[in-house]
Amino acid sequence: MRAAPAAWTFLTVGALAIALYFAVLPAHGHAQSIYYVCIGFASVCAIFVGTVRNLPAAERLPWYLFGLGLLGQVAGDTIFAVYEIGLNREPSTPSIADAFYLGGYPLLGLGIYLVLRRLGGQTSRTAILDSLVIFGGVVVVQWVFFIDPYRHQAYTSHAARYVNMAYPAVDVLLLVGLAQLLLGPGGRTTAYRLLLVSVGLWVVADELYGLNQSSYQGGDWIDALWLGSYVVWAAAALDPSMARLAQPDRRLLPRLTRSRLLLLATALIIGPAILVFEKAHNGSSHAYEVAPFTAAIGMIVLARLAGLVRAVERARRSERLARREAEQAQQLLSYQNQQLVELDRLKDEFVSSVSHELRTPLTSISGYVELLKEDEASEERRAYLEIVDRNAERLLGLVSDLLFSARLQDGQLELQRDEVDVRRIVEHAAESARPRADAAKIGLSVEASDVPTILGEPDRLAQLLDNLVSNAIKFTPAGGEVNVRLGARDGLVHIEVSDTGIGIPESERERLFQRFFRSQTALERQIQGTGLGLYISKAIVQAHGGRIGVQSGETEGTTFVVELPVAGAS
Amino acid sequence: MSDRPLVLCADDDEDILSLVTLRLERAGFDVAKVGDGDAALAAARELRPAVAVLDVMMPRLTGLEVLAELRADPSFAELKVILLSARVQESDVERGLDAGADAYLAKPFKAQELVAAVEELLGRS
Repeated sequence: MRAAPAAWTFLTVGALAIALYFAVLPAHGHAQSIYYVCIGFASVCAIFVGTVRNLPAAERLPWYLFGLGLLGQVAGDTIFAVYEIGLNREPSTPSIADAFYLGGYPLLGLGIYLVLRRLGGQTSRTAILDSLVIFGGVVVVQWVFFIDPYRHQAYTSHAARYVNMAYPAVDVLLLVGLAQLLLGPGGRTTAYRLLLVSVGLWVVADELYGLNQSSYQGGDWIDALWLGSYVVWAAAALDPSMARLAQPDRRLLPRLTRSRLLLLATALIIGPAILVFEKAHNGSSHAYEVAPFTAAIGMIVLARLAGLVRAVERARRSERLARREAEQAQQLLSYQNQQLVELDRLKDEFVSSVSHELRTPLTSISGYVELLKEDEASEERRAYLEIVDRNAERLLGLVSDLLFSARLQDGQLELQRDEVDVRRIVEHAAESARPRADAAKIGLSVEASDVPTILGEPDRLAQLLDNLVSNAIKFTPAGGEVNVRLGARDGLVHIEVSDTGIGIPESERERLFQRFFRSQTALERQIQGTGLGLYISKAIVQAHGGRIGVQSGETEGTTFVVELPVAGAS
Repeated sequence: MSDRPLVLCADDDEDILSLVTLRLERAGFDVAKVGDGDAALAAARELRPAVAVLDVMMPRLTGLEVLAELRADPSFAELKVILLSARVQESDVERGLDAGADAYLAKPFKAQELVAAVEELLGRS
């Protein structure tokens, strides 16, 4: 426990002052009485100073109550001192001093209650039941050992008897407060620990006084406990950590700690223990008082345990409910997933159906155009027919891509693998594309060396090359160049298709191979396409166990790089 | 009776049927044409063609059903069958060949492809 400088200083000075009280001042003298009042008053002042220094105005009430409660004790002590010094006797019982003494206890108890309440955790059903158990146990003990004995002593008046009985009665407040502090949160705070110690010292002093009241004299060693309580209480107020006691403690405390269990057990056995003790010592019995209190405590403990069982059952019910909800959510998810799969299947069936329905009229268009071209003598008309034929081919390509794409969505791309000479495919693709390149006034060159064969499907690889070369031509302005390079290294066949075209902005490269993605530039320049070519190309490359990537300038030149594993390479 | 091989063409699309007929006639074949699967089966039994070019998606009997009937009849053991279809997925092609087709041509087709396929089946290539 490390106190801050002000608190530490006060503790040190206070300890020295207490030592001085016993070591230097004459025992049971007037100087001791005055000195006692001074230590108490200084402590009360320190409590008010610490409270103002450490807390905003709205949060000072509990500590003001501590200050006022202790001030009541100091006032009582002062009256006693005045009587002793001025009249050379103690005040009679009851006196105005008793009013101050007794009036201070409720303030201290209320202060403790407010501190615990602000820390939180004191308002739940469990906490209230625990408080009742503590209260019951304390009341029984106080009644049997500290209050009831006054009933059997001789007093000059009933008032004197009742005042004497009132002291152990108000101690119940501090005892309950002490127990609550022991169980409550805030144990890690220095101020909290100091407060706990100070209340503990005060309660112990009171109880010891109650047991030895007839033999007590001012200046006895018990005074050290009360003085110590003053000093430690003040140190708690001076320590800045007391500000944290004004905030709720967010830590989750277990519902049934070991100390709480100990408390419940103690409360249960306190009644029988008292009866056994009394039987063994003096034969008298408080059975009529102890029995109802013990029964009440038993009922409260039972209610406490019933609450625990109910809490466990509630937790189980919640868990079952949560599990059922999770299962329902899982089923719903599964159902929705099935629906999505079904929708996907219907969509692909639709695409497949559309593809079939488009191919049928295309068959007639292409077939009859082919016939007409064969029979047409006029060069001009043959050129027109060529245009019709080319567009029919384009439409057919689109239909094929759509169908292929639908198959890819179904995960249907299975290759008919064979050993393939990629060089032949590259050269064939370039030759097929040359008329288009020539028409677009684009230079098309091929740099192909002999490469090892790969295991793949020739038609798909031809489709891949055709896609890449067609793309390069499509995106390259007249006068540009398209170059296809083929080589092999590190067990991979490398195909590079470069162009001097419009380039691909960095922001679009990641989405380039997504289905139906079309670059902004392509859309702006109205370059025809469906956004399926690169998606299909990537699928073909991946089906062959290879990789495809792109390097491009922001506005000019693009190179697609394909790497395919050679046959036999792992 | 002509000594030119007889090719039976069946397609429910009249335009395509005429196109196929024209192409095969120009290539030197006699052609009988029908517009559905039932008629194709009846014509095959009556005319005993050397080659049948069947569309797959036809009313009444599909090309595949006609093919199954023909293959179930031992008297058609020599008959060559070409399936001509706009259904071009690999599974469609496999289904056709598994049912006993000698060739599977995808629509749209080039005239040269069709004629070459028929001639090859007749051993004239």
